[in-house]
Amino acid sequence: MKRFVVAAVLLAACSQKQPIVVGSKNFTESVILGEMVAQKLESAGCTVDRKLNMGGTFVCDSAMTSGALDTYAEYSGTALEAILKQPKADVAKEYAKRGLHWGPPLGFNNTFAMIVRRDDANRLALHSISDLAKVAATFQPGFGYEFVERPDGWNGLLHAYGVAFAKPPKTMDLGLTYKALASNEVDLIAGNSTDGLIESLGLIALNDDRHYFPRYDAAIVYRNDIDKKCRGASKALESLRGRFDDAAMRRLNFEVDGRKRDVAAVVKDALGR
Amino acid sequence: MITDIIRVTGEHMLIVAIAVGVAIIAGIPLGIYCTRNPRAGRVALRIIDAIQTIPSLALFGFLIPVPFIGGIGMRTAIVALILYSLLPIVRNTFVGIRGVDPVVRDAGVALGLTSRQLLFDVELPLAMPSIVAGIRIATVIGIGVATIAAAVGGGGLGTFIFRGVAMVDTRLILAGALPAAALALIADVVLSAVERRVIKG
Repeated sequence: MKRFVVAAVLLAACSQKQPIVVGSKNFTESVILGEMVAQKLESAGCTVDRKLNMGGTFVCDSAMTSGALDTYAEYSGTALEAILKQPKADVAKEYAKRGLHWGPPLGFNNTFAMIVRRDDANRLALHSISDLAKVAATFQPGFGYEFVERPDGWNGLLHAYGVAFAKPPKTMDLGLTYKALASNEVDLIAGNSTDGLIESLGLIALNDDRHYFPRYDAAIVYRNDIDKKCRGASKALESLRGRFDDAAMRRLNFEVDGRKRDVAAVVKDALGR
Repeated sequence: MITDIIRVTGEHMLIVAIAVGVAIIAGIPLGIYCTRNPRAGRVALRIIDAIQTIPSLALFGFLIPVPFIGGIGMRTAIVALILYSLLPIVRNTFVGIRGVDPVVRDAGVALGLTSRQLLFDVELPLAMPSIVAGIRIATVIGIGVATIAAAVGGGGLGTFIFRGVAMVDTRLILAGALPAAALALIADVVLSAVERRVIKG
């Protein structure tokens, strides 16, 4: 009887251990990062409740500040522009004021990227966006509508780099731009620097040598009280610092989007390495 | 702005006119063929049905790398629209001819009409209301569907709609959507008048 009581008390104590709630936004890369955080915490012995694919930036952020969520991955540019609305502020300092910790950066910068075919890049020695001046007379750009319309899109880029293209951009659905580039219908597109297709279609992202696009460094955000829920949680997350550069993240995205592999399996492989 | 709207409305009408025109030229003979070869006809109709279920973006994705008919621009949009317009025209031709009373057809045969005469003098005239109805459906739907041409750089009124959606600008969306709705209404009125004339005739 006594042993039974002890066991019951122990069980109760275990079940009362609060799980760490891990979230993510509703796109592949964010889900991968959420799963990565979850697996890392589990390997440190924490109980994890996955709330992946939650919605957009504001859903995740308000869940964090209200305590419904303990951790998720956010991008520095998004935090500054969309959440804090202070583009020039220090992210970590501003987050500390809100009871949140702007944690370890993962090592990649998922910003806008100007993308060309690799064979063009090799043949014409295109490495950075400045090099586009060499092909401005012949290259056909092709973009989604938003990049053409937004002042901080194509027009702003031309202005910042002081180049003028002979051909106006062809506008199309954003989802078709990679196909159009791969089929030689256009020669230059705008995408995201960690898109898995860059790797798989033999394309390269040009270096933004004048820093026209803001930085979107991915980092793990967590609530200051995360270690109270599970000792060693923040240390486990800290071990992810700088583990994945742009190319590594592109490969993970491609594994999931391109090869249709299961997110958990892809993350397990990546962390095992 | 006004001149832009007029220009893209013109592009829009061009896209629909070419697409529905080609769909008529290809679709009516195809519909006739289906009545003459029921087995092959069933397969053809199935395929045309199946085309309707392909989302336009997926169809564009297939077409972009295809030489001559694909690429980025109006041509790809027209090809897609032809494929989408085939169904009402082929099916209404098929149904119209199949719906001809067998007694009438037998009378024609008894009079010694060749199968060619039977088709042009008996079956097609009687099927004409159904065929015109199919053309009307294809045109009205095509005017709406042609807004997706903008997704593949094909121009047309969809350009305003896509720009408006990207910029969260309702006025731009309406600048594309209202002329498209007006075009569809005008086409519907004109073609229903044609339809009435055919039925009377």
